[in-house]
Amino acid sequence: MELKTRVDREEALAFLGHRGQELGDLRERLERAACLCEKELVPRGVYREMDASEALALLPGRDIARHVGGCTRVVLLAVTLGTQSEMLLRRERALSATDGLLADACASSLVEQAANVLNGHIVEEAAARGLAATTRFSPGYGDLPLSCQPAFLVASGADRALGICATAAHLLVPAKSITAVIGLYPGRGFVREGARCSTCPVADTCALRAQGRTCYGNPA
Amino acid sequence: MATPRKLTVTDAHLAEALAGRAYLLFDGGMGTLVQAAGLHAVHAVPDLLNLTHPEAIVAIQRQYVEAGADCITTNTFSANRLKLASTDATVAEVYAAAAANARAAGAPLVAGDIGPTGALLEPLGTLTFDEAFDIFSEQACAAEAAGCDLIVVETMADLLEAKAAVLAAVESTTLPVFATMTFGEDGRTFLGTTPAIAATTLSALGASAVGLNCSLGPTELAPLVGELAPHDRALVMAQPNAGLPRIQDGETVFDVGPNEFAQAMEAILDAGATVVGGCCGTTPDHIAALRALIDARPLPAVASVSVPAHAPVASSVAAVSAGSASSRIAWGEQSEPKGLSVPSVPNLRYCPAFTVTSAQQMASLPEGEARIAVIGERINPTGKKKLKAALQAGDVDYLVAEAAAQQRAGADILDVNVGVPGLDEPTLLSQVTRTLQATVPLPLQLDSSDPVAIEAAARGYAGRPMVNSVNGKADNLAAVLPVVARYGCTVVGLTLDENGIPPTAEERLAIAERIVATAESYGIPREDVAIDCLVMAAATNQDEVREILRAVALVKERLGVRTVLGVSNVSFGLPARPLVNSTFLAAAFGAGLDMPILNPLNARYRDTVATFRILNGQDAGCRAFLEAYANTADPYEVAAGISTAGVVGGSIPVGGDLGRPSSSKATPLEEGGASPAPTEGVPAGCPIPITETFADAADVVSHLAECVLEGRGTPVAAATEQLLETHDGLAVINDIFVPVLDVVGQKYDEGVFFLPQLMASAEAVKAGFDLIRDHAQAAASAPGTTNAAGDRAIIVATVQGDIHDIGKNIVKMLLENYGFTVIDLGRDVAPEAVLAAARDTRARLIGLSALMTTTVGAMERTIQLIHEQLPGTAVMVGGAVITQEFADQIGADFYAKDAAASTRVASAFFDD
Repeated sequence: MELKTRVDREEALAFLGHRGQELGDLRERLERAACLCEKELVPRGVYREMDASEALALLPGRDIARHVGGCTRVVLLAVTLGTQSEMLLRRERALSATDGLLADACASSLVEQAANVLNGHIVEEAAARGLAATTRFSPGYGDLPLSCQPAFLVASGADRALGICATAAHLLVPAKSITAVIGLYPGRGFVREGARCSTCPVADTCALRAQGRTCYGNPA
Repeated sequence: MATPRKLTVTDAHLAEALAGRAYLLFDGGMGTLVQAAGLHAVHAVPDLLNLTHPEAIVAIQRQYVEAGADCITTNTFSANRLKLASTDATVAEVYAAAAANARAAGAPLVAGDIGPTGALLEPLGTLTFDEAFDIFSEQACAAEAAGCDLIVVETMADLLEAKAAVLAAVESTTLPVFATMTFGEDGRTFLGTTPAIAATTLSALGASAVGLNCSLGPTELAPLVGELAPHDRALVMAQPNAGLPRIQDGETVFDVGPNEFAQAMEAILDAGATVVGGCCGTTPDHIAALRALIDARPLPAVASVSVPAHAPVASSVAAVSAGSASSRIAWGEQSEPKGLSVPSVPNLRYCPAFTVTSAQQMASLPEGEARIAVIGERINPTGKKKLKAALQAGDVDYLVAEAAAQQRAGADILDVNVGVPGLDEPTLLSQVTRTLQATVPLPLQLDSSDPVAIEAAARGYAGRPMVNSVNGKADNLAAVLPVVARYGCTVVGLTLDENGIPPTAEERLAIAERIVATAESYGIPREDVAIDCLVMAAATNQDEVREILRAVALVKERLGVRTVLGVSNVSFGLPARPLVNSTFLAAAFGAGLDMPILNPLNARYRDTVATFRILNGQDAGCRAFLEAYANTADPYEVAAGISTAGVVGGSIPVGGDLGRPSSSKATPLEEGGASPAPTEGVPAGCPIPITETFADAADVVSHLAECVLEGRGTPVAAATEQLLETHDGLAVINDIFVPVLDVVGQKYDEGVFFLPQLMASAEAVKAGFDLIRDHAQAAASAPGTTNAAGDRAIIVATVQGDIHDIGKNIVKMLLENYGFTVIDLGRDVAPEAVLAAARDTRARLIGLSALMTTTVGAMERTIQLIHEQLPGTAVMVGGAVITQEFADQIGADFYAKDAAASTRVASAFFDD
């Protein structure tokens, strides 16, 4: 499905390590990059819901088991900006390293926002069935290894529906793609707490954490 | 070498279907029925069910036979060596079992099924074209050995992967090859390919049927079949899903029932499909309904085929497979010499056209329609020093910039010529082609006289390239045309031969005739040939200009092929060249020119092209013209109205790239020059100290340094240019660039600057640095500095398995700004490749980058290998996940926490 959303300029700046520096000409260049991404790229997503046991058979590690503990159903979701994003970013990088970097950050924000839109849709649909949702949890976080990506792509249908591939080193191509897990459990109301930096094995080298951000939306 | 393809047609009905005289009904979905049988979770690769649960597969396929399917598809969608790697089964075993199961089910015909590899090809992915070709070739051979009657390549999203599969099956077997791609609701595949592009590309490669499957239901697919059919020289094939997939209670469901499905399929048959079946969600009931539909429908009326006016003996690579099934040939083993067959494009909807495609865009000139396409000429080193230097230095980014600029200026096709003496043209042409295809969507013209270079580039090209050129010499035709035929290219023929370029139109026509006839003898239909009548200079061969125009008209009229001209030759030796060129261009359009090769950045040529598109009706309703020109003042009136000073005879001076007067864009240099007279000492606020050498230019230096800090490249280049008039380039680097970059680095360290500011500053310096390099190269007699890595050479690479290269690119740019020679090996680089490069270049320092924790193992292996094999070569490492502690642990010599730090490491290393 198509996911209508926009680049969050502030988020793109945050990805670039911006902490209030005077932007000058860069403001205009960032805006141009953001508009380019919004004009040329169409974020798309897909998801599949399954029994928690079926999902956990695909997803090794204690952290994901803890994350969806008590959940009856689990949703595997995937979002991508498509191979058009690879072409756009390569072209922008070749034309100017700075514009390439800005476009890269804008594309990262766009795919993140698209994941939020799909996440919202899943939460809403679950709520209509009396199910509440956990936060998103992605391969590569905690002890959920990237090596589960190939099976994840097949199980979620992202390979056929979105054309996302995994490289031999389990990285996603197109690079501007996200895979994530959401657990559903009977109940309503609050989105349940998920991952925490304090229990994450890669917290020491986490690039997000170095910027004071987390993969689960809250401040570190 | 294109040899006649032997085609084995095993069955009378198949022969009739291949000739377009009978429908061929395939089966429907397999997955749904496997799931219903409770077998979907038995294996990770469901194709193994052929071996472990043959009775279940036979039972499913028998249902399809009973429903009336002519052809059963083997359950081998994933049976390639990549996906079977985790199992005990071989490709041959799976195909043998799968074909045996289909036969056991009573299949009248068995189609050996080949699905996508599951890996993405270069340049977007990591799988090479040749690896993909090998994988598919193994499958195709296994299918043929297993006794399949034909091969079906299906559900492809990547045109290049589809091309690898079709080419592998065509070249490795004698079976008919069918191919389908899968399209989204926007009418494109994931990689942006349209049905028309798929049809023209794959049918030109020799597929016997091309079409669409999966993703959409018959209602959504019907208009796409309509788009595909006119471009398909082969049969048209369609296997839709049972509607659009919908998620219900977490399961994928399809809503279109058998009768509704058959009803909707009527529109697809009306659009020209003769090979039909179902995909996901379709069942034996759907196929039974479809059987009833086609049985009640009159057979496709081959008798009414309209042979294109100018293609009386047309045949093509595609027509070989199609022709092999034509009426005069009995079924059985057939050997079909290319080009000698009767015309038998089995698809009645086919409209001959000269077509060039990339994976995303198509330039098509249909026969009988007045259309022109502009070929951008700027990627050609002849007479272009900068481009030549960029090619010598391996700076492909420069070519991408040229390509993007021409795209913006409205080029339809890009010429790519990389012929520089001393460079390996085959390797370079395919590398440049790949890079351009990954960045700019325009179709390409491969411009080379070397058949090896043409083949190297055409083989891995995603789409249908145009080859420029062949000529009338017999040995040239014999060397190039087989390559054109094998890869389904279109081709430009030059009207010259062993005796040179003849002076008259009739003699040029005679050569053109010979080229077209020879092309047809190789199976290249004449709609795929364009003729270049070769423009001579009006200054030296004035009488010939009219002959050239007459030759264009004759070639079009007598041969019915498209025409090409390199326009700018006409003005050689004359002043006001763009004026001469654009006037000739208009005259040539009038004579029937279809594809001018020109510089699209020149506004004067664009004006002529845009105007002619009104006159030939291509710009329907003059919409594009109105949009571009409605509010534009006539440049001649503007010039006359404002002032005639400096303008001779009421005309504007002509020259340079733009024919129009550039309005008034004052260069930043002029701004700088207009500043108050230089004051003594350091200007207030100058971020760097002014050295003695530059004491006389303190203001310019100060302005330059400030512009660097603001990240503004154009004024930096202008100021550098000014300084170079009176100062040495090396002094500018050492006394200005390096100190100001140090300031930038410091600001970055302190958090005053963030990363994009650091980069913008580095880029601004690069603009000045490039100028200094150009000056140095112009001064030096030979361009000797490019290949031999200097004393201060550094290799940079992102390690194996890692595809992130932004960090590495930033490091590269900064190092270059500091005057180091940087050899960039790219991303996902194997340890052995780093070692080989270090040996070749004798670079003493290597920078490795890794962003993922999972790829730092490759970093460690690279360091070990370098230290083992090349003691004395140092390695610095960096990247998001690398720390000093970690760098020590894996044996790195240096750690750079960011790009600025890498310049300090490198400076210290080489200054020691």
